[in-house]
Amino acid sequence: MSTWITIYYLFCYLIFGYSLAIMASYLLFILFSRSAQAGQRVDMPDDDTIRYQLKGSPLTPAVSIIAPAYNEEKTIIDNVNSLMQIDYPDYEIIIVNDASSDHTLELLIENFEMVEVPYDVAMRVPSKPIKRVLKSTNPNFSKLVVVDKERGGRKSDGSNAGINVCSNKYFVCTDVDCVIEPMALYRMMWLVVTSHVPMIGVSATMLMSNGCVVEDGRVVEARVPRSILPMFQQLEYMRSFLISKLGWSFINSLPNISGGFGLFDLDVVVKSGGYDNTSMAEDVDMLLRMITYMRNSGKPYRVAQVAKVCCWTEGPSSLQAIYRQRVRWARGLFEIVSHHWKLFFNPYYGVVGIFTLPFIFIFEFIAPMLEISGFFFMVWLLFIGGINWGTAAIVFGMIYLFSVLMCLFLLLFDYNTEAVPWYNRRRSYWHLALAAMIEPIIYHPLITYCSNVGYFQFISGQTAVWKPIQRTGVKKREKEKPANNAPTPTK
Amino acid sequence: MDSVSALSYYYNLITTYVTYFWTYYRDLFRDYPYEVKTAIWVILWSLFLIIVIFVRLEHIGYKRTKRDELRKKLEGRFGRLLDSIFACDVYNPMSREDIKNAIDIDPERLAKYGYLRNDEQRRMVCRMAYERLMRDEVAGPSRTKNLQLFLNVLGLQNFLEKEITRGSTWRKMKAMTQARAFKLYMNPWLLNRLMTSPKVRLRRVAMYMSVMSSSDSELAYFETDFFDKNSCIYDEIELGYILNRRRNAGMKLPNLAHWAELQKKDYTKCMFVRLMRRFDQREYCAQLEPMFRESKHKKLIEEIARTWGYLSYTEGEQLLVEALLTQPDDTKVAILHAITRMDTGKNQRVIVDTYRYNRNPHVRYEALRCLWNYSDDGKEMIEVLEQRAHPEDKKLFAFFRNPLTLSRMPLNKEQAYHPSVETVYNIAN
Repeated sequence: MSTWITIYYLFCYLIFGYSLAIMASYLLFILFSRSAQAGQRVDMPDDDTIRYQLKGSPLTPAVSIIAPAYNEEKTIIDNVNSLMQIDYPDYEIIIVNDASSDHTLELLIENFEMVEVPYDVAMRVPSKPIKRVLKSTNPNFSKLVVVDKERGGRKSDGSNAGINVCSNKYFVCTDVDCVIEPMALYRMMWLVVTSHVPMIGVSATMLMSNGCVVEDGRVVEARVPRSILPMFQQLEYMRSFLISKLGWSFINSLPNISGGFGLFDLDVVVKSGGYDNTSMAEDVDMLLRMITYMRNSGKPYRVAQVAKVCCWTEGPSSLQAIYRQRVRWARGLFEIVSHHWKLFFNPYYGVVGIFTLPFIFIFEFIAPMLEISGFFFMVWLLFIGGINWGTAAIVFGMIYLFSVLMCLFLLLFDYNTEAVPWYNRRRSYWHLALAAMIEPIIYHPLITYCSNVGYFQFISGQTAVWKPIQRTGVKKREKEKPANNAPTPTK
Repeated sequence: MDSVSALSYYYNLITTYVTYFWTYYRDLFRDYPYEVKTAIWVILWSLFLIIVIFVRLEHIGYKRTKRDELRKKLEGRFGRLLDSIFACDVYNPMSREDIKNAIDIDPERLAKYGYLRNDEQRRMVCRMAYERLMRDEVAGPSRTKNLQLFLNVLGLQNFLEKEITRGSTWRKMKAMTQARAFKLYMNPWLLNRLMTSPKVRLRRVAMYMSVMSSSDSELAYFETDFFDKNSCIYDEIELGYILNRRRNAGMKLPNLAHWAELQKKDYTKCMFVRLMRRFDQREYCAQLEPMFRESKHKKLIEEIARTWGYLSYTEGEQLLVEALLTQPDDTKVAILHAITRMDTGKNQRVIVDTYRYNRNPHVRYEALRCLWNYSDDGKEMIEVLEQRAHPEDKKLFAFFRNPLTLSRMPLNKEQAYHPSVETVYNIAN
């Protein structure tokens, strides 16, 4: 009996110590992200200056934007128009049609006057064969390249095909449904241009476009999502990008550049093999391989997160979609841990090896398993009447209040520094603050459940099926509406 | 009660309250286990911080509203004048009186507070002028002079100087960027002070501003090993901009090869060699010869070769041919391109031999491209080589004959990234 009591106490203390350690790590990350933000505030001048300096110089590096598309006929034209609105002196847009079964390709050909051109496609990274490359006969769309390829089934295959076609030293990988802020490329490239060591990747902040008003491919009014699930995701994304990733960026150990919007150095990507078409977390996997390559070659490098670059994406708004997405992410995380195990706790890989990856392992990978075991433990205690309700309430209160505090810290940080451009209406922040108060009770258990299902599927060897999220599209403002009624974004 | 005793009174009051509550809670949970105590401690702090954050959120919102109102007010007062400055297309210099008369301000208020009441207003007006300037496509001399006069009348030139000397790094950077855009003369002593700052970005911006706004002697910064850290593309952009302005103003450009020699870091040397190419400094190419012979840095050798090719420095051709035998493959490609650009007609044999005897398909492919452009009979030579080629090599020719590959020639780009590089590797493998 005494053995069981010892196990009982050990488990209780383990959970308690773990919670305290997570809290301490969050505080540390707030400190890191604040420092990173302060540094970027000094290094990054205002938009006018950046545009003035980069636009006028012949040395400004050109960028390719790669956007794979599969069955996007509802939104493809608007989305390509949105990409065309990006303000940058020299860039090309590569839309990769992954053998869509709808009219995506036909719409592109018809609307942008595309014709097939001979093109020496370099198979730098593995992808399904490219059937043809199309360019527009209309000079207004000269930036646009459409790649028609055989079905790869995954976004990573489409991205690799885009990498094979792209002709610039830097490329941005994005989703075709993303609405990119017009100044995004300037701000990201400013980091590349002013970096004293080679910048191999730049990550941007992603936010939910659900609820935003889009006009001519631009978000003209940023609003907090109205439905509850996207609003929780909004908080989650803000936490992830503005605290975690910015914090990792401060110590140059960012482990992930989101597949939704990230800038990469083509040479390093090619040398590290591009995206892995079999991986569920292809973005993390590729960045880790890039870091490994740079470390093995003994070259200095930098990977950064820019707070003030925003990319709007439509988040899943149904329970089923979010379940599928999170299960996939959890499988991806398990896969990363198992594939890149040699990097973990390995001082050869610097801060990434001795700090970042162990941190991810302890606080992100193990957390859902501990939480679910804690839950079952609690249920067991409930049956045997072993719960001290007073202590339980105090400990739950501590965890709840701390998680609310973290979200509020984030909102304050964001509102104060205007990290997310345009998102500065007081009412929006109050909405998010309210969401922060119910998120730990409703949303967090759901995500924990999905993560555990994902782990279970990975361990039991169930085949992963990649299903794209059903997009409903963002709100569009009619052009005829008088301009003076339109609320203009203030800076 | 004087201010000191009031302060100590409130201090005592607060410390008494804090001590009371601290003691109270400590005693309340005295016999509890430490995990409960810790949880209570976290809860209290969290609650306190949550309240602070809510108050702060409201405070920021209030400040932002005030800022917007201020901006609106200042736009009403100075916006029209600024717009008229940027709207004038002909040379129409204004006088101080014109400016003063155009400012829409109540005389009583002017007598009491001046044009601008505090630093926040000054910053805002600088910002308004700067935004308009950055979006102005024309930016002729008349506009610049009128803008400078406007800033002078409002005392903003002095204000920007003050901003450079005090405040945070961010403020200093902003003030310098604005002063530079307005083409204001800044006291060199101020800039020199910033050039000793531990912050690299601040140092560089100050240096570029100093070089931009002053005489030849300021260029001497580059004669020292100023770039203590590796230079970046930004440095090259800035230097290119400064040198371009000097060239447009009819000033003599400095000897960039000499600057390259003085630098300790190879990456920085590369930057100056590239700039030589951009500013057509053929007369100094000979100075690069020792560097080309002695350097172990692959990138530097490539840059020198490209520069010689671009500037047709035919005196260095022999050195290039010799280097072709010893350098690694990537460098060989740059050398081949340089020889092709020189196009003296003497070294076709060297290119053909590179194609024949090199085992790297990328180098062989590039040799073919060079041969295509080399002298009059280069294309004929390719026909001959193709007829005699090994069946495996036919693929190389087939790829080379792709219409898009051929349309990209001649090789007038400095080093356009060519997507065929890895393809050629793939063909070989």
